[in-house]
Amino acid sequence: MIRIPPKGSNERGRLIAEHKACIESMHGVPGCTILRCGTPGDTTEVSGGIHEDIVLNRVLLRMRAQPAKGKLLVICTKVEKEWRIGRASGIRGVPPEFVTDKVYDNEQDPQHDIFLMRLDEFSETDGYPEHFHEGWKRRDDGWAAS
Amino acid sequence: MSWMKLTGYADKFGVHPGDTIKFYVNCDGPDKFDAQLVKMIHGDTNPRGPGVIEHDLDASFNGSHKGMKQVIHSGSYGFVEDKPQFRVNSFTIQCWVWPTTPKTHPKYWKHGAQGLVTKWHNGNGYGIFINEEGCAELRVNGEKLTTSAPLRDHAWHFLAATFDANTGEAILYHEPQVVYALDPEVPPVKATIKENIKHDGSPVVIAGYTGEHSNDAVAASSVPAGIVISGHYNGKIDSPRICDRALSRAEIETMKLGAQRGLTERRNAGPTGELSKCIVAAWDFSDGINTIVGKDHGPYVFDAQIVNCPTRAMTGHNFTGQNFDWKHAPQEYGAIHFHDDDVDDARWQVSFEWEVPENYESDSYCAKLTTPDGDEDYIPFWVVPRVGQEQAKIAVMIPTISYMAYANEHLANNAGGAELLVYRVPIMQHQNMFLAEHREYGGSIYDTHTDGSGLCLSSRLRPILSIRPQYDHFLMQAPWQYPADLHLIYWLNQMGYKYDVITDEDVNYDGLARIENYNVIITGSHPEHNSGPQLDALHDYTQRGGRLMYMGADAWYWVHSYHPAYDDLGRGIVTEMRRCESGIRTWRADPGEYYHQGTGELGGMWRYRGRYLHSVAGTGMSSEGFDISSYYSRTPESNDPRVAWAFEGIEYDEKLGNFGLVGGGAAGTELDIVDTMLGSPPHTLVVATSAGRHTEGYLLVMEDFGFNQQGLDGTQHPRVRSDIAYHETPNGGACFAFSSIAFCGSLPWNNGDNNISKLVGNVLDRFSQDGPLPDAPKDSIIHRGRADYDPPMNKQRK
Repeated sequence: MIRIPPKGSNERGRLIAEHKACIESMHGVPGCTILRCGTPGDTTEVSGGIHEDIVLNRVLLRMRAQPAKGKLLVICTKVEKEWRIGRASGIRGVPPEFVTDKVYDNEQDPQHDIFLMRLDEFSETDGYPEHFHEGWKRRDDGWAAS
Repeated sequence: MSWMKLTGYADKFGVHPGDTIKFYVNCDGPDKFDAQLVKMIHGDTNPRGPGVIEHDLDASFNGSHKGMKQVIHSGSYGFVEDKPQFRVNSFTIQCWVWPTTPKTHPKYWKHGAQGLVTKWHNGNGYGIFINEEGCAELRVNGEKLTTSAPLRDHAWHFLAATFDANTGEAILYHEPQVVYALDPEVPPVKATIKENIKHDGSPVVIAGYTGEHSNDAVAASSVPAGIVISGHYNGKIDSPRICDRALSRAEIETMKLGAQRGLTERRNAGPTGELSKCIVAAWDFSDGINTIVGKDHGPYVFDAQIVNCPTRAMTGHNFTGQNFDWKHAPQEYGAIHFHDDDVDDARWQVSFEWEVPENYESDSYCAKLTTPDGDEDYIPFWVVPRVGQEQAKIAVMIPTISYMAYANEHLANNAGGAELLVYRVPIMQHQNMFLAEHREYGGSIYDTHTDGSGLCLSSRLRPILSIRPQYDHFLMQAPWQYPADLHLIYWLNQMGYKYDVITDEDVNYDGLARIENYNVIITGSHPEHNSGPQLDALHDYTQRGGRLMYMGADAWYWVHSYHPAYDDLGRGIVTEMRRCESGIRTWRADPGEYYHQGTGELGGMWRYRGRYLHSVAGTGMSSEGFDISSYYSRTPESNDPRVAWAFEGIEYDEKLGNFGLVGGGAAGTELDIVDTMLGSPPHTLVVATSAGRHTEGYLLVMEDFGFNQQGLDGTQHPRVRSDIAYHETPNGGACFAFSSIAFCGSLPWNNGDNNISKLVGNVLDRFSQDGPLPDAPKDSIIHRGRADYDPPMNKQRK
């Protein structure tokens, strides 16, 4: 596995900068990916991001593949106006809870803040044998990854 | 905090002029709410589009209504009302169980003891349960006896409990079917219970117990009304029995065979006549699998009413792995899988109703609900003309089966892997947040039940909060299904077309008669889920000269059937689908559980029933990705005189659809291609393609490859693309396939003034004309083999 670049490293700085540039270019797109729009808000030509930075690509995949419990997500609190960051409970019937007070005025910017939060939450060696726990012995129904 | 105080549903999706539609509203808090009939034109809030467009209309129900809280009593169970024979002094209860959540998290939405076979309420009665610790438990009134051995989940166990009123001896047996090397032994446990069983009027409940008898208004929607069932069990129950005395272990073994009435030397084997005298009930769930009745083969015929449509046609404890169709070995399908979030009908009280005036315009409508506090919900419905009273030459076929398949989905916060699919962090709206807390509203056929098992049945008699305007779906961060189909409705209105709307269930139940009077049928953006009768009707239609405009992608994919047990409540109440051997599956059916319980037909993909997707309208799904969309380029085949008329007013080099309200382009989300080896007619023309333009987030569908390997994504694989395609059908018919779910999202762009709008308009103008389409040029009538398109024989068209 590709290691999560440690805090303060140049590589981490590079990933953050590229991620941010991609997200900013996605403002206005009804959808989102970590690629740069040739023209901001227009997906006719896209490049960079996950297509050209293999570390960014792999780190994002690993973050996305985590189980639902404790996973960060975006909650739209006013349609087309306000968004906040929440965290899934992993328990059926227990809805996600807000984890920050920050209110966003667009649906793309929370994507970047969640990337920053996950960089801090993930161990550099996440997924290596030292992180083994009994849960590895049984798949759950996190379907795309099960 | 409550994310939604107003929710509602109607008793119909499609209503004919002159008929009455009933609306059911939960108003949880405010004293009253307002209702307003609106024609629903556009439901996308995206500021880059035309915005929400709805027109207020006169209707008798417009105005203020008294608000009333209404709740859904979800969770499936069987029950038999109180009978003298159930009021036993001594008893034996036995059954097989395959529990899925014997032990739940303390915060789990229905944490607590689960009833298996009970006649118990509030410390009175008897029954066997799984207690909070996940162990089998016998209850006699308030006394409890447990093995203290947790039941292994997803494993068969035989349970039996006896109580002898004369001696007070109670015995509980827990016998796992499979015992592993290091499993502790689970001996029977015994106790002396000096109690006489106290009986009340509670029913016998299978997979739950009586929670309360209540006169409260919200209890009226429980079954039976006024008796609220609690302790819903998650898992399978097979062969439950109740006897009126304490049996020996040997007698219990014999009783596994169930009631064998009419025993003679020539027929049956099982309990002797003497032993049979103790049988109160011996249910056999392998009888009547396609019903909502749990048959009792015992002497009193205490058939159980099965509530909230649990999953049947499920393998029992004795499944041999030799037969995989329940119809051929019903005795191996004696299990019902109950779920605490099953729901077949909310059974709410009517809040208001409306008799649709005769000759009322066929279109897309909503009952818009509001309160002065700012609460809001919409109940969509469609006015569908009666057969023979069509109002237009164009019909839009609203994909209501697909809407039901996606109804109230929970993926954004339940499916960890959903983020890998959409390639970004999912966004939840207030509808999703409400549903995340209110699991009693049921899930979608994309979800797993709260116990983790696949959800294969969906009812429309409940609020379906995903079928709403102003709802962006996490898959695309944009409209999906109903609100996405409003992009098409907006465009038809903006362009001034007169159209009728019909629904999937209309075509399913009325067949060809429903569509044969139209010159053209227009589909929705994602008619993925279809019944056989519907596809037969479409086939008949196109073969007889009808024209089909397939406006989306990933259609004609999954086998659906309406459960016949609900036909008395209306058309298409409960739809069933099983995710079988292949296809894009958010869960996978277990071995032996591929056949529908309602109709007995093989579930899964139509492809594996010999009905290739590509054979319906010319193209079939090849890939999917949900991050962003792209656009099309014309191919040389677009200049073929057979189809060049479609591109009048469009330059050859124009970027087709590099704009839109779903992903930012016309080619996106799920994509179809032409494949003459998979059913596309050999004369199909590919007039435009998005080849080479998709992101790494787009991946080839798994049914198109047999081996995991790299190179399957949109930056690499040649089949990750969308093909816009055209072909003629006999008798002057034709199909135009636009082959992308995002496609309709480009129609409203720039108020409908764009090249996608131009292309669709050209096609619709030609397809909607009276009479057969003009003949194709004579030189296009040639023999074509499917292999003609293989390199190096691929011929360059002029």
